Amino acid sequence: MSLGQSLIRLGTEAKVRGETRYGFDMPQAGDLHLACVRAEQAPAKIVSINPAQALAIPGVVRVFTAADVPGEHRLGIIAVSRDQEFIAPGLVRQPGQCVALVAAETPEAARAGARAVVVVLEQQPGVWSYDEAMAPDAPLVQPDNPGGNLLRENKIRRGDADAALKDSAVVVEATYTTGRIAHCALELEGGRAWLEGGRVMVTACTQNPHYDQADLARFLGVGEDRVRVIQAETGGGFGGKLDLSVQPFLALAAWHLKRPVCLRYTREESFLATAKRHDLRMHFISGADEQGNITALRARIDGDTGAFASYGLAVNMRAAVHATGPYRTPHVDVVARMAYSNNTFNGAMRGFGCPQVALAHEAQMNALAAALGMDPFDLRKQNALRHGDHTATGQLLGAGVGLSACLERIEPIYRKWQSERRHADEYREGVGVGVMFYGIGNTGASNPSTAQLEWRPDGRVTLFTGAADIGQGSDTALMQIAASRLGLPMERIDLCRGDTDRTTNAGATSASRQTYISGNAVMGAAANLEMQLVQGAREMLNQRHLEVELKDGMLVAADGRAVEPAEVARHLAKAGGRARGEGRFDPNFTALDPETGQGRPYATYAYAAQCARVRVDTASAMVKVTDVAAAHDVGRAVNPRSVQGQICGGVVMGVGMALMEHYQQGRTDNLQAYHIPTAADAPDITPLIVEEPEPSGPYGAKGVGEPALIPTAPAIAGAVSQALGRPMRHLPISLERVMEALTAAEGETTRED
Amino acid sequence: MPLEFTLNGQKVSLEDVPGEATLLEVLRQRLGMLGAKEGCGVGECGACTVLLDGKAVNGCLTAAWQAAGRQIATVEGLAQGDELHPMQRGFVETGAVQCGFCTPGMILTSLDLVEQEPVPGDQQIRRALAGNLCRCTGYHDVVRAVRRGAKYMRGEGEEQ
Ligand code: FES
Ligand code: FES
Repeated sequence: MSLGQSLIRLGTEAKVRGETRYGFDMPQAGDLHLACVRAEQAPAKIVSINPAQALAIPGVVRVFTAADVPGEHRLGIIAVSRDQEFIAPGLVRQPGQCVALVAAETPEAARAGARAVVVVLEQQPGVWSYDEAMAPDAPLVQPDNPGGNLLRENKIRRGDADAALKDSAVVVEATYTTGRIAHCALELEGGRAWLEGGRVMVTACTQNPHYDQADLARFLGVGEDRVRVIQAETGGGFGGKLDLSVQPFLALAAWHLKRPVCLRYTREESFLATAKRHDLRMHFISGADEQGNITALRARIDGDTGAFASYGLAVNMRAAVHATGPYRTPHVDVVARMAYSNNTFNGAMRGFGCPQVALAHEAQMNALAAALGMDPFDLRKQNALRHGDHTATGQLLGAGVGLSACLERIEPIYRKWQSERRHADEYREGVGVGVMFYGIGNTGASNPSTAQLEWRPDGRVTLFTGAADIGQGSDTALMQIAASRLGLPMERIDLCRGDTDRTTNAGATSASRQTYISGNAVMGAAANLEMQLVQGAREMLNQRHLEVELKDGMLVAADGRAVEPAEVARHLAKAGGRARGEGRFDPNFTALDPETGQGRPYATYAYAAQCARVRVDTASAMVKVTDVAAAHDVGRAVNPRSVQGQICGGVVMGVGMALMEHYQQGRTDNLQAYHIPTAADAPDITPLIVEEPEPSGPYGAKGVGEPALIPTAPAIAGAVSQALGRPMRHLPISLERVMEALTAAEGETTRED
Repeated sequence: MPLEFTLNGQKVSLEDVPGEATLLEVLRQRLGMLGAKEGCGVGECGACTVLLDGKAVNGCLTAAWQAAGRQIATVEGLAQGDELHPMQRGFVETGAVQCGFCTPGMILTSLDLVEQEPVPGDQQIRRALAGNLCRCTGYHDVVRAVRRGAKYMRGEGEEQ
């Protein structure tokens, strides 16, 4: 059994040898190189595009404009908000939007060509924030959107929040904000396309090859069978490679020029042209009774999705659904609104709105504890969701709620750190806690995965999956699940992944869904394969009703006879058949009621509790996160080391979100200005795995990819708040903000003296 | 201009290298050595790290001509056939590789560190790697990897 073992991730050896070829490494000799012409002004009408000077540059072979797009201009993952134009047809909606595409023999010529295309724009009035977008008579960003600039409003209503707040012993109210965050996967977007037999082949980094295929076909105006997408090894994604990036440009140019083409984004282009994490503004009013039981939450959440919807609908819905945090809250009134603006678009990033609302719900817990005179950790334990509780959407939680277990694991560490806390003239220390729950898979919507397992006549097994591994380790996890279910060592199984010709749709690598959903699809494929093998063995043994089972890779009959599955495969092959099992899994959900948000949005939730210890230097206002302990209920750890790796990566991304990352378009479009945590910034991390099996999960597994990040920033914010003696409600907790708080605190001490 | 240097122990000579070409461009575009990555092109991420006479440098900031007559080591040159370099083994065994895009640069920077400090402490490792960004691992396992790789390089712990 390989399940539960810390196996080395597949592909690791090639990576340490430098042999792995990422999308970014795809260009080959003789390829044409592409470069995007990006509009500097927005919103703007395109008055004219003159390619003459570009075409005069030696090596430039073609300049494409929107007129060259044979199919639909408007693409996007969520069908009801498909609105992203890869080459702007007439109107530039956001800065940096591509208006023309240059193909040339060399990268230098392509770049020179892109600079030489003359684009005349006529500036239009724009809107640059949620408030501007929602002002009466605001210019419309996407005039076709039925709600004007309002992309979506999501409501969660349960009980009577206003009345419950009136009757509460304590009520706390505050506004919280978070900054825009860039994914900064180390691999820049890149890929290659060419034609083969009248079909276009695209290989690029991606989190969702089958979606790419569908949208590229739409873009080219051809059937999906004319497009093949092969996921290149992908150097991190974190949600940033869920939307299409280079692929439409590649497909379009290869389609017209009938030559292999390649394209890579620069870091600046990647900042400008791909999604960011939404900055949210969150106004929360929370109440509790005298005993410290939470009574109600009233929350208003505003977001700006930028010029394109991307995953804005998903972020808005998730923010609303998770606004209470993992706490029993009998009365809930949440309204989340997402508006268009002319900013560069925001989309999916690790956690889809949950890391943002976690800042608010955790700070509210601290504020409630203070108002009640209670210990903030005890308050969380008391209100933590347990089996038999209902969520804000009215979902009854059955098995698989490991939150109390996570809190138990964290508590001794939290108490110890609190007791060790020191203040000196030069520094202040603080300890904070962050807790979260996270629904696995898409919200209140079908999001199936499929997989196949084939026992080949040569005795080896192939696992076919469309699930994109982007470095997080789904290949290994799915292989471990397959190996365990078939009773084989993993070495006997080959993997075929992410090729739309050879695998079927597994949905996006997002929403922490691949272990749970694709893992279940693999379980299904194995069961189906086993059934075929058993049938085949019965035929071969000439006994229709013989009991046969697959045990340790062997078909063993009740009468003691045994058949090798490979023999069955050969037997089936003689008749033109194959021993190939099909699996499909779609989590059990119900859509949310549009008025009340009631329903069962997810089949299962992951839970986590983290605590962080910080030291604030009083002279420099520098915050150092020294330690983080992170307990995560993953249901079952398919590969414990991989889970720990995910936790540590998420925690450090959370450090960035808490303290330093703040994307400002036009100002932080490179890594010199946009800082992500380095090894020197990273805390000591204690990853703790909690296994509260999820009955519907493969071997009880849920997921961990996004949960790893969500509690970290709230825990750090709590710790800094404690250190400074005042609540830090806005992320990032920059030097300026700490300085301000230190000065204010100083003022207070002086007055008290 | 013509350019000669030693790459992973082998002499290479090139013609017509543009004066403004970076070492990274020459390695990737002229020599097909794709182990060194480009993550920013401006010296901020360390994905392009190579060893120049044993010192870790950013390939994207190093002019190609600076390599003339010198020893360049890239990640491709570390393993001896089937046998991984001890530092590579450290990275494999500790699970320090997720997407792996930062890994070649991390390994080469670590070799430079261990050359100077055969028994590096965690804080030394963190400081040495501060110019190599990783967005996946949180550096936790990377620090363990370097410790383990350094140990293997000292000839310790082979039996494990
Ligand atoms: S590519 Fe050289 S430091 Fe980033
Ligand atoms: S492993 Fe992905 S950037 Fe380091």
